[in-house]
Amino acid sequence: MTGSELRERYGLPLIGLHWLTLLLIIAAYALGTLLEDMPLSPMKLKLYAWHKWLGLLVLFLLPLRLGVRLAESLEHGAGLTPFEARISAIVHGLLYLLLFLVPLLGWLHSSAAGFPVVWFGVLPLPDLVGKDKALAKVFEELHEGSVNLLVILVVLHAAAALYHHHVRHDGVLARMVPWLRSKQ
Amino acid sequence: MKRLSFLLAILAMPAWAQDWKVDYGRSEIRFVIKQMNVPVEGGFRRFHVQASFDAAKPEQGQFRVDVDMAGIDTGSEEGDGEVRRPAWLDASRHPKASFVSKSIRRDASGRYTVAGDMIVKGRVRALSAPMLLTPQRDGGWLATGRFALKRSDFDIGGGEWADPSVVANDIDGRFKILLLP
Repeated sequence: MTGSELRERYGLPLIGLHWLTLLLIIAAYALGTLLEDMPLSPMKLKLYAWHKWLGLLVLFLLPLRLGVRLAESLEHGAGLTPFEARISAIVHGLLYLLLFLVPLLGWLHSSAAGFPVVWFGVLPLPDLVGKDKALAKVFEELHEGSVNLLVILVVLHAAAALYHHHVRHDGVLARMVPWLRSKQ
Repeated sequence: MKRLSFLLAILAMPAWAQDWKVDYGRSEIRFVIKQMNVPVEGGFRRFHVQASFDAAKPEQGQFRVDVDMAGIDTGSEEGDGEVRRPAWLDASRHPKASFVSKSIRRDASGRYTVAGDMIVKGRVRALSAPMLLTPQRDGGWLATGRFALKRSDFDIGGGEWADPSVVANDIDGRFKILLLP
């Protein structure tokens, strides 16, 4: 494989982590949205716990994903204009940044609100900050704001992938989707 | 007659028993209860302590603690509102929870055990709590200790909330009361 060619397929670990992250984001986001207006009930406490557990799984999978990604030596710019390559790099960079920031801000919010996280009900995680109501409010706002940005970027990312597949007919989407044949 | 019984009551008390004042600003009654296996800390904003004992013989003394249920702090505003409702503390019908000591024992190492009745939501259960009395420089005492309650004993949080895997049955309490001479 030469540098300018697209690889036909990414490795299965990278593909698996990519789609698992998407599923986790969708589940955590749906739970988070549902919880906002939900009156207090045992179900709410359960769903809140799951929201935190899944969100933090995204955070803890991130180093693994970055490791696999570096090992795969991805070629991103192939076939793109310098402008497109720039936009692509920015969106991907921001996606990774937010995969880190959104769960971290959620964790900070939980710590500041005085609710430690016991991951999946078994593993007690350290509190990142002490209990502080005002600080909790700040982290809550930042968590919500950053997740909205993440959703926008995920939509952009998906739109770009569909554009590659249906308009440019290149193999960009196919290399992340094992059952999709490249239209090239 | 009334006068006589009053006189007798005074005579019956140990002559040196002292009613201690309480520094509420530096006293606290707090608790930890697990929610989804997560320890969440709470406390009570308002309570009243009557402590009457002779510093040389605290075993002959008496403690009474009345806790204002509406002043509960569960760690979140949402929780504060919820636990005042009838399924939990029913704070409007039972505004106070009380502990009344019946005996105070002292062991060889100088630690105390206070035993008595805990009354919550009109239900009475025996409760005993280890307690340390630490002398203060100004002649006062710092009373610290722990106590364990089960919310099912007092019908706190029944119905949909009964499941102890969501909100644990065990309440782990601790107190710190600064007594002034």
